[in-house]
Formats: sequence, C-alpha cells, structure tokens
Amino acid sequence: MSEKPSSLFVLWVLVERDLRTLLKSPWILINRTAFFLIQLFVFAVLVTKLATSLGFNYFDFYSVGAVVSTITSIAFIIGEDLFEEEELGLLDYLLSLPFGHSLFVIGRALGGAVRGLIYVTPMMVLVAYLDGYFSVAGVAGSLLVIFVLATGISGLSITLAMLIRNANRFDIVIALAELATVRVSAAIYPLAYIPKVLQPAATYSPVTSTSDIVRAIFLPGYSAGSYEVVVLLLFVAVFFGLGAAFLFRKLEGGRFE
Amino acid sequence: MIQFKDVTKSFKNVDAVKGVSCEIQDREIFGLLGPNGAGKTTLIMTMATVYNPTRGEVFVDGHSASANPDEVKALIGISFQDPKYDRILSAREILEWHAKVTGVDKGVREKRIDEVLAKFGLAGEARKRTWTLSGGTKKKIENAKVFVQRPKVAVFDEPTAYLDVPSRLMVWDMISELRDEGSTVVLATNMMDEADRMSDRVGIMSRGEMVQVGEPGRLKGSLKGRDIIELKLEAVVPELTTEVSKVEEVREARYEGDVLKIVLTNGRGLLPHMINVVTAKGGKVQSVNLKEPSLEDVFLHYTGMKLS
Repeated sequence: MSEKPSSLFVLWVLVERDLRTLLKSPWILINRTAFFLIQLFVFAVLVTKLATSLGFNYFDFYSVGAVVSTITSIAFIIGEDLFEEEELGLLDYLLSLPFGHSLFVIGRALGGAVRGLIYVTPMMVLVAYLDGYFSVAGVAGSLLVIFVLATGISGLSITLAMLIRNANRFDIVIALAELATVRVSAAIYPLAYIPKVLQPAATYSPVTSTSDIVRAIFLPGYSAGSYEVVVLLLFVAVFFGLGAAFLFRKLEGGRFE
Repeated sequence: MIQFKDVTKSFKNVDAVKGVSCEIQDREIFGLLGPNGAGKTTLIMTMATVYNPTRGEVFVDGHSASANPDEVKALIGISFQDPKYDRILSAREILEWHAKVTGVDKGVREKRIDEVLAKFGLAGEARKRTWTLSGGTKKKIENAKVFVQRPKVAVFDEPTAYLDVPSRLMVWDMISELRDEGSTVVLATNMMDEADRMSDRVGIMSRGEMVQVGEPGRLKGSLKGRDIIELKLEAVVPELTTEVSKVEEVREARYEGDVLKIVLTNGRGLLPHMINVVTAKGGKVQSVNLKEPSLEDVFLHYTGMKLS
C-alpha cells in the first residue's frame, strides 16, 4: 500500500508533469523561439533603423518587451490546457489523485508559470547579451519579475476559462485578451506613442509594469519604482486569487458540471 | 469498508445515480453490473470524490468522501474506462508519474513498474509515446497504473474492454492477486462472464438505481423454476407439450422448431425423468441441452433489460 505524499511534494510533481509534457513538445518550443528571433532580428532591427533618427534605441527597448510579450502569450495557454484536460477526461483522473483541490489549483497555475519561464529563459539571456548588459543577477532578477507576471496571467486565463466554460468561445476571447494585454501596453512601443485613448489602460497594464521593471534592471536610462511593483503585485493578487477561487469553486461543485 | 448511504448524483435535471445504498466489504471483489449509462461510473466518481453527491454520503474506511476527501483519495486508485493520461508521454513516464503522485515508495517504484510492464508485455513499448499505441495497449497502461499503485481500494472500470482473450485472463489474475494482497476491488463491468467469474458479490445497477446486491450464486439460485431443458427431436410429437406439463415441477413446455423447450425447477435432477417421459410417448431425442439461470438472466429478471 502507498502513503499519502506531502503537499510540497505534490506541488513539485504537478509542476513536473507540465515540464515533462513541455519537453515532449519541442516543436512548440522551436516555433515560439523562431517567432521571437524573427521579431527580434527582422522587425526590431528594421524599426530600430527608423527610430534611430529620433535618437531612440528601439532594439534595446523592444528586445525586453518581446520577452515579456512572449511569456504573456505562453501563460495564457493554461486556460486552453484546462479545457483540453476536461475534454480528454484527464481532469477526472487528476481530481481522483490524493491531493486537495486547492493544491491542484496552485499546482496548475505554478506549472503554467514555470513552463513559461523555461520557454523564455534562453530568450532573456540572449536579450541581456545582445543589449550588452549581461549579468547573472540581472537575468535572475528579471526572470523573477517575469515569473510573477506569468502567475498573474495564468490566473487571468483560468478566470476567463471558468467564466466562459465553452472551449470555442474561450479560444476567441483568449486571443483577444492576449492581443489586448500585449498591444495595449508599453511592452513593444513606448507609452508616449500609444493612441491617447488607450494610454490610461496601458499605464495600468501589468505588462507595462513588468516591461518597465525589467528594462530598469538591464538598461541605462530606464527607471521603475514602487508604482510599477504595486501594479504588478496587485494584478497578480487579484487574478491569481480569482482564478484559483473560480477553479476551486468549479471543482468543489464537481468539476465543470 | 465502503458505504453508500442514499447517494444521489444529479447533473442539471438528470439523476445519474438515484438513492443508492449498499456496502462493500474489505478485501472483496465487488462487481458493479449495468449497461452503459446505468450510473456505474458516476457512482465510482462520487466515491472517488471527483463528484460531490447531490444527496447522501459515501464513507470509505470510515472517512466521509465529502468531509475528508483527501483521506479518501489517498486510499483509492482508479483504472478508468477510457485511458486517462497525457498521451504525449510514454508508458514508463505515465507510470512513474502516477506512482510518485500516489505516494509509492521510491525504493520500490522502479521495480514495480518494471514488473507490471513485463507482465503486460509492454517492456518493449515502454518508451514509445502512448498516442502511437493500439487501443488494447493503451487500456493495459491504464490498468497498469493501479497495479503499480496497489491502493487499498482499487477501482477498475471495464478493465478488459479492448483486450484480447489472453490479456483478459491475465488482468483477471492480477485483480485477484491484488485482492489477495489486501485490496478491496470495485469492478465495474457490463460483461456478465467477467462479473460472474471475478466477483464475490455483485451490485446490479439500472437507470441510476442499485436494484439488487448479492453473491452471483445466490442471485442465480433466487431464480428458481427458470432452468430450461432443450430436447432436439427427430420429429415433432404435438402431444408431448401436454404430457410433459403434467410433471409438477414443469412451468412451461413449448416447441421452437423441432426443439422441445421445457422450463422447470431443478432441471439437472429431472433431466432423466423428462427424457423418459418424452421417449415413452414416441419422441426420439437427438440431443439434450440444459440451461441454468445465468447472471444475464438475473440481470434481465431484475431490470427487465438485456445487458448486451
């Protein structure tokens, strides 16, 4: 007979499952990396040439924003995973395993964030190197900030999945949400160049805050303060909490009945 | 012991399980019989805490499934009807992960996985992604999860679906071994031969209700007067139906083609006498067939439905 495993061990095993499936899907990793590299070396290089006349190093600005945008997109996948797990009946299996629903919820959100982190770590290292400001502490600090954002985005994705409940509708909403979250932010263009009507939303965007914090870590001339940290943490607290609460409630009621 | 106390589970307006009450004893193999849609899987999922009962309560080893779900889940291992695992992973990876998450001791994990893979003849395919494997092999991997886990309560939902005959026999042996090692086994099936062969007791489910619980032998014995003697005759002798019906134990006698069918009590004991009666009246018996009530008949009797 077997013994009930500890909570920490269960959390690790749940995250490990995400990592195992990730490592078995190298094409997704290659696809995302290729997309990132093309954006960086074609799009960013071209626009940098245009922006240089304005006395602005767009490449440095964009490269950090591209990493933040990538992890945002990846963290949104968790909602799709939940629908897929439900469709394949995997959720029944996972919920029958010897751990509580709350651990399951935390494990899934953390697993999504860790998976995203693994995707973007090489990108972050490359960006730090290309920008000419590589340091182990800088990369580690940036990844920590990015990880915090990813947990919040995972929470947002889970919240949307729980509210929408229909996989097809979710696909559409999540595509729009991802577009809005990345585009209405200062991840890939400066706040000042965003249409005025969108500037308030972009100012309060956690993606903007994360991009600003990471730029402040790496790039000279950029700064971030407690305001950005508060926006980011508030976003994470609200959506990680909401996502966890919605999913937990759904599971307690008997999964996606 | 597992106790179901007036368990009802509804999905929207549909009662998938209706007021089920029964007990499953420690170390017994309990066959849960019923056609698809009878509520077997829903009842299992309620026991496993995946669903909360709409009404009633399930207790496993004294723990309430509603109040202490974590305690209950720690005791249960389920082999699902349709394989449920990440199909991008290999059989070995699936079993390793399942063993870890269910708390199988690290010291015995690999050995058990190797043993179970070898028993199922999967050692050669253990590192292939499972989506590339056949339906039968996927089902074996689903069963293997429970055999690696060796839980206190092992649940098998249609464990031999998609399996060939040798594999079915092996799974039955392995389930019996599991019980002998101390596990309680819940075996949900719609195969009568499987339930009859494996179960210490069976519960018959129909339209969400548990309509009968008992030992297969006793349930079959409860259908007294339902033995059938079939006598194939060289030629039909019409008056034989009347003549045979004069025997007290005979409930019915009729011809189906050139076969005289006699429904009676104690067919085995009265068979020689019946042949004598028929022969005395000029009937020439070419072959004899005695049918005693099967679990299928029991099912038909209590539910009014044929299982297959």
